[in-house]
Amino acid sequence: MIQIYHVAKHYGPSVALDDIHLRIRKGEFVFITGPSGAGKTTLLRLIFGAIKPTKGQILIDGINLNRIAGTNLDLLRRRIGFVFQDFKLLHRKTVSENAAIALEVTGERPGLIRKKTHQVLRAVGLSKKGHVYPLQLSGGEQQRVAIARAVINDPIILLADEPTGNLDPDITREIMILFRSINLRGTTVVIATHNRELLKDTDQRIVVLNRGRIVEAG
Amino acid sequence: MRLRPWIYFLNKGFANILSHRFVHLISIGTISISILFVGAFGLLFVNLNNWVQQWGQSLTMSIYLVPGADTEAKKRIEADLVDLEGAEVRGFITQEMAQKELVEALGDQAGLLDGLEDIELPASFEIVFKEVSRYDIDPHEIKTELEELDGVEEVQYSEQWIERFEGFLYVLKLVGAIIGLLLCVAVLFITTNTIKLTIYARRDEIEISKIVGATDWFVKAPFIIEGAIQGLISGLLALAILLLAYSLFSLKSFHLFGIPVIEVVFLSKGHALFLLGLSLALGLAGSFIAIGRFFRL
Repeated sequence: MIQIYHVAKHYGPSVALDDIHLRIRKGEFVFITGPSGAGKTTLLRLIFGAIKPTKGQILIDGINLNRIAGTNLDLLRRRIGFVFQDFKLLHRKTVSENAAIALEVTGERPGLIRKKTHQVLRAVGLSKKGHVYPLQLSGGEQQRVAIARAVINDPIILLADEPTGNLDPDITREIMILFRSINLRGTTVVIATHNRELLKDTDQRIVVLNRGRIVEAG
Repeated sequence: MRLRPWIYFLNKGFANILSHRFVHLISIGTISISILFVGAFGLLFVNLNNWVQQWGQSLTMSIYLVPGADTEAKKRIEADLVDLEGAEVRGFITQEMAQKELVEALGDQAGLLDGLEDIELPASFEIVFKEVSRYDIDPHEIKTELEELDGVEEVQYSEQWIERFEGFLYVLKLVGAIIGLLLCVAVLFITTNTIKLTIYARRDEIEISKIVGATDWFVKAPFIIEGAIQGLISGLLALAILLLAYSLFSLKSFHLFGIPVIEVVFLSKGHALFLLGLSLALGLAGSFIAIGRFFRL
């Protein structure tokens, strides 16, 4: 599903990632961990196509990210969900509208958008909060909305960058259960985290980064 | 795209305008005033031009005979005048009639002529070119030809001052074009900045849209629609104000310099559509400039 071949990313003289070689299979659940500045976020942004590698190749479902741009990249992004630590919700839109935006941009019919929004909000446990605004929700609920938005398109890959970074342990557990259920439905899930607690009892694959290099591929 | 995209973009465009109504209200007001100026100038120019054209439809000429011209010469000149294409001899003013007209014209001041009995006013023919546009004939050439006739002393025609007026109209047109151009640049500047403000206000939404896979066109189209709506509303508003002013002041007809009553007309359908099109085009151009300069996707 995700093939990364000898990828490096430099920002001027500073090296964010160096010679990254990694394969993530379809339906896998992978944690990418490491200390701050290890290159976790850069790796996720590279997989998402938000930035181009300085060296190497990245293939997503067989598509070489170095060879696509513009509309083709936009179309690929519809198949990749992204969850952020700070949720990135639109505060002037309701929970339903926030979740629906990912379907709106595909030009889907309004009736189908309403139906799928209802389904996804039910799946994340927010079916009764569709009409409220994000700032009226708790942090955990806001992250659920962000996850709903990321999965409403049935993506093949779900990327999450420190998704529990702003949440307390109980809520973190709930969110991780949600990610696991999404993964069980066949979506490849890649979570970047530096939270050791999260990794303590997991039986999922863990990739460890340090100073821009993979030190353990799991 | 399965969803009727234009309906979506239109909805989005109107929603954007409503959510930033204060900025758009100021912008629409300013653009309307600029378009109103262009329209008012156009209205003035169209009517002055119309008036010159109308006046040119009835070119008159006075052919003054040499003092003491005999009947033979008069007949010969009259025959030549009748042969002139489009000309109609209105009448012959004898020396006595000319004298009488002068006395009548002077009224109370007629006493000034006392002691000047030996002043001889020339007899003249009055001809008119009816149904002939002054653009189809060359009055100056006719004047020269007639002045070469035996027994003709001088030819004067009503057009000489109109030619000077046309020079004024040309300057007016030039000034109008320069002012119009400056106003268009101002409108572009206003539209560009209004759209820039809404792009800035919606930057989070743009970012999220791109993250979830919106194409550039999908993100940009509502702003283009927004500029178009802004331009269209401003154009309609300017035309409505112009029409209202035209109706209120009842500028249907009036005398200019005491000569022919002229009909003051409103802008033709073509001119009105041009004004509307200009406003729309400026709105669209402003959007494109704003998108080109301030959009970083």
